Amino acid sequence: MGRYLGRKLLIYALTFFLAVTIDWMIPRFMPGDPVSLMIARIGTRPEAAEVLRGYFIQAFGLDVPLWQQYLNFWKALFQGDLGVSIWLYPQPVIKIIQRAIPYDLFILLPAILLSWFAGNHVGALAARARWLDNTLLPVGYLLTATPYMWLAILLAWSLGNVAGVFPIAGAYSFSIRPHLSLRFILDLLHHWFLPFLSLFLVMFGGWAIGMRNMIIYEMESDYSRYLEALGTPQKLIRKYAFRNAMLPQITGLALQLGGIVAGAVATEVVFAYPGIGYIILNAVQNQDYFLLQGCFLFIIIGVLLANFLIDIVYVIVDPRTRLGMTGE
Amino acid sequence: MEQEQPKKVRSEFIFFAWRNAKLRIGVSILLVFIVFAVVGPFLVKYDPYEYSGPMGAPPSREHWFGTTIFGQDVFSQFALGTRSTLTVGLLGGCIGTMVGILVGLLGGYRGGMLDEFLNVITNIILIIPTLAVLIIIAAYLEVRGILTQSLFIGLTAWPWAARAIRAQTFSLRVREFVDLARITGRSSLRIVLTEIAPNMMSYLLLVFILQFGGAVLNAATLDFIGLGPTKGVSLGLIMNNAVLWAALQLGMWWWLLPPGATIAAIVGALYITNVGLDEIFNPKLREM
Amino acid sequence: MSRKLMFVVLSALVVGSLLLTACQPQTVTVVQTVPVKETVPVIITPTPAPSPVVYPRNETLYTSGKQWGPPTSWNPLQPGSYAMGVIGLCYETLFLFDPLKNEYIPWLAESGQFVSDKVYEVKLRQGIQWQDGQPFTAADVVYTFELGKLPGVYYAGLWNWMEKVEAVDDYTVRFTFKEVRHQSWWNTLYNTAIVPKHAWEGRSQEEIVNGPNLPPMGTGAYMYDTHSEDRMVWKRNDNWWATKLLGRSVAPKYILDIVNPSNNVALGLFLKGEMDLSNNFLPGIATLVKGGYGVKTWYDDAPFMLSANTAFLFMNTTKKPMDDPAFRKAMAYAVNVDEIVTKVYGNIVQKANPSGLLPTWEQYVDPAVVSELGFSYNPDQAKKILDQAGYKDVDGDGFREAPDGSKIALKIIVPFGWTDWMESIRVIAAGAQAVGINLQPDFPDFGGYWDQLTGGTFDMAINNFGSNLSDTPYTFYAWLFRNPIEASMPNGNFGRYENPEVFALVDELDRTPKEQMGAVISKIQRIQLTEMPAVPLWYNGLWAQWNETYWTNWPGAAEGLPKYLPCTWNGYWNMTSILMLTELKPAQSQ
Repeated sequence: MGRYLGRKLLIYALTFFLAVTIDWMIPRFMPGDPVSLMIARIGTRPEAAEVLRGYFIQAFGLDVPLWQQYLNFWKALFQGDLGVSIWLYPQPVIKIIQRAIPYDLFILLPAILLSWFAGNHVGALAARARWLDNTLLPVGYLLTATPYMWLAILLAWSLGNVAGVFPIAGAYSFSIRPHLSLRFILDLLHHWFLPFLSLFLVMFGGWAIGMRNMIIYEMESDYSRYLEALGTPQKLIRKYAFRNAMLPQITGLALQLGGIVAGAVATEVVFAYPGIGYIILNAVQNQDYFLLQGCFLFIIIGVLLANFLIDIVYVIVDPRTRLGMTGE
Repeated sequence: MEQEQPKKVRSEFIFFAWRNAKLRIGVSILLVFIVFAVVGPFLVKYDPYEYSGPMGAPPSREHWFGTTIFGQDVFSQFALGTRSTLTVGLLGGCIGTMVGILVGLLGGYRGGMLDEFLNVITNIILIIPTLAVLIIIAAYLEVRGILTQSLFIGLTAWPWAARAIRAQTFSLRVREFVDLARITGRSSLRIVLTEIAPNMMSYLLLVFILQFGGAVLNAATLDFIGLGPTKGVSLGLIMNNAVLWAALQLGMWWWLLPPGATIAAIVGALYITNVGLDEIFNPKLREM
Repeated sequence: MSRKLMFVVLSALVVGSLLLTACQPQTVTVVQTVPVKETVPVIITPTPAPSPVVYPRNETLYTSGKQWGPPTSWNPLQPGSYAMGVIGLCYETLFLFDPLKNEYIPWLAESGQFVSDKVYEVKLRQGIQWQDGQPFTAADVVYTFELGKLPGVYYAGLWNWMEKVEAVDDYTVRFTFKEVRHQSWWNTLYNTAIVPKHAWEGRSQEEIVNGPNLPPMGTGAYMYDTHSEDRMVWKRNDNWWATKLLGRSVAPKYILDIVNPSNNVALGLFLKGEMDLSNNFLPGIATLVKGGYGVKTWYDDAPFMLSANTAFLFMNTTKKPMDDPAFRKAMAYAVNVDEIVTKVYGNIVQKANPSGLLPTWEQYVDPAVVSELGFSYNPDQAKKILDQAGYKDVDGDGFREAPDGSKIALKIIVPFGWTDWMESIRVIAAGAQAVGINLQPDFPDFGGYWDQLTGGTFDMAINNFGSNLSDTPYTFYAWLFRNPIEASMPNGNFGRYENPEVFALVDELDRTPKEQMGAVISKIQRIQLTEMPAVPLWYNGLWAQWNETYWTNWPGAAEGLPKYLPCTWNGYWNMTSILMLTELKPAQSQ
């Protein structure tokens, strides 16, 4: 077990190293020169532009050989320094990301976990109740097949604009200053609900269907039949089937994390919700490769951590994996 | 006996396929859209970007799906968009599945160094957000087309398939029938092909269908955040434009609803087809 | 679309800096400042009464349209990036300019005039206080202008032609010029925000030029309250000088500016009544004004908006066949601007005058020149010009070849995602194709667009960054005929049109007093319309829409309404928007 996790950690370290290297390349090997774009943005006079250019090249650390830039990047990384944003110059990238991360966790963690649990349980239920299977599945298919932003737009328009029940933009009311009070917390939740709901619904459909299919698959497999023939109670067989069906669902959870980023970007854009996804869009639109780099680094770290956690869970749930990994 | 087997299997397949309501529904919806994607563009009366009608007009005999805020025919855009969206799905899905099967089966069965190596590659591609790769590619290509889009969607989408297939292979390879096969001394490749792959057929199909659907959804997301094709029409681009020009707030539902609903319908139909096929491939599931 | 406004606004602000660069740098004489009587430093720190955590709706004015990203700077010396209202609400200028009446309004200054050929004297109002209670004096004005000697300050070019600035007494400032550049000078007078010497004196050069200057402290009607990623909040300064001295006061206790999410989200917020004044480009606004949504604009009917800048079709005159004036002229006839105005913009913009001058500069349009050389959409005329110039379809592919027989295949570019421009160039390309010019629309990302445009590698492109509303058409011509031609041309004349004659005329225009500009401008117009280096297409609107739920007495074209610009963009508060604010009244019982 320890050996297995140790090896996993090594793989993750290697992955991290390579991912960071590629991440480092983003601003440096992009066609077009971020510094001149930035100066164009500031729109200063030509004479001043040259002074500024020198200043920025130094500020972004672009005045040393590439290999040294690479080393400096690692050094800075471990000091939590991700450079300076172009779009929001002169704010440090790390600050911008720090402000955004809580919103992402706030919206993604509940959406992912709740949809996963709810989806699995409803899916398992559907697998054994025909009426539920027939009513819930079409809905599930439709939900999981819906583009994130399309659902988000429909929700924003119907519940936000037409019904006027929910706000359509921001993380809290424009009329409120953040402070600790029930009113502010309720306001936060009020703004949180629609983005959460649109992410939750789409993901929920996916998990429910996945689980339903896997359970049926497992229930009809040889071991289930065998157990049935032995006169094992249905309840126990179902329990085994559920446990076995969890495996792909757990893998799926880890794997979906990367893909959910795209969904989060779309949802945050629709609701102007100030998370990393919203920042990525702005970074793309403003050619702020340093900010983009920072955002991706955080996503990489997040996905790596989640993968590692899920690996541990996977081992606990399926002992065969442990054997498969350490055998031979 | 040797010759009779495939024929019997085929007729059995068709028989159960016809009886399976899910498959009938799924395939019918898909067929409608595929036929529409092939034929639709020939029914189009206008250039998709031409100002051919009144501005922001609701559906009418002249403009079946109404017009955009500028007076472009939504149906023309929709017909061409459906074609390119299905193309992206098909191509992207194929590429993603092929790479996924290759990497997953190989790594999962062989284990050891090869598995570790493939696993590292998979992990890296998986963890580096698809968006990053797409943005880099997008920046290098000043003009992006439908084909390039499907290519890079496929090439970034395979890792989850590879890992899922690998996990399944893991579970299968320690099962009794594989052990039995191994005792008889058959080669790894043969075991993979004859014992493991057939037992995962429905799963592989599920993978392909999810890849297909995923490619369609990914393309729509890319289009929506402005990284879509810079030329041509797609359902995602129509949605993007409809949102930018506030179609819903201005009451032009006919501009935003069809593309989104069509994507949902296509992807949904794929999933339903998948379950139907699953039930046919696994005779045991039919009793359900 | 979303990024475009930012550029427009940004460039409006730097026009001042563009102006000041025409001269060769000269050695700057050391300026002797007259020592000002030392005031006893009574530091009255504005005791900020703790702001409420919830801003009362009926005391707060919600605005949007200026900020395209979180506010990051409150430094009035950073014209491209300072937060909404820093100049205008917080820091103020000596004069305001009213583009509708074409007159300067004394603001911090009581009056100003040339006392001799090269000496301009400003009398300051007495009784103005900084927000910390210190008196505002001539020393502050002198300090502000002398900051221009620091490298990196955007109005540094001023010192190329200004000799010295001195305080004659506490309320008189005298500017002495080496050479009077009338147009640049007036532009500077109403655009330069005066900063407090006593608060800035100890700062390092780096801090002055690049610091965020938080919290800002000026003489204006509003004080910094708070900000976050998606908002900027100003709080009323109850001791504002204009209340005492001019009898003007501002009604909203808070101004809360919302960082633009995107134009369609802005529209959603606006329709929900969460914004009072929106300076966003909102699609379909014409429908909403007419449709009883309570949406108001300057005009009740098309074009709904005032005009803010002119969109030009730039043609790269260093490339064939755009180097041929006949070809460029034919393009001018081939573009169906009316279709762009009605279809793409739904009539919220206006077709541009052939001179390209904004409606507020109408008096400078020479009708004789325009009627003789002007153009309008006329494909037959375009074909005729092309035929005469030798552009003929030799190989029968439906497109014309150059007189020397070479093929013509051109691209017209706008940035991908700038949807209204993307639609517009589709119309332009269709127009060109209709007269046999093989012109295709192309949508590179903004970076690619900007590289091609400033690097001179494009064929044709749309741009409007420097054609903004200002007090003088000189800013417009200095942008259109920006010179000299350099490797990178980020500040105008993207087509790299080279003509020493017109360059000299633009320079002469800068030295010409306002009343005498007409003659110079008609000479420029004649060259412009003969050579057609760029084709003026349409006037982009001064996007402004509001509703009267919480605030009334908004300005507008109708009889009896205030005639001030309803605009929160940088550079507009000092073009009478601040006066618009003083006219607002809270709506009666809600």
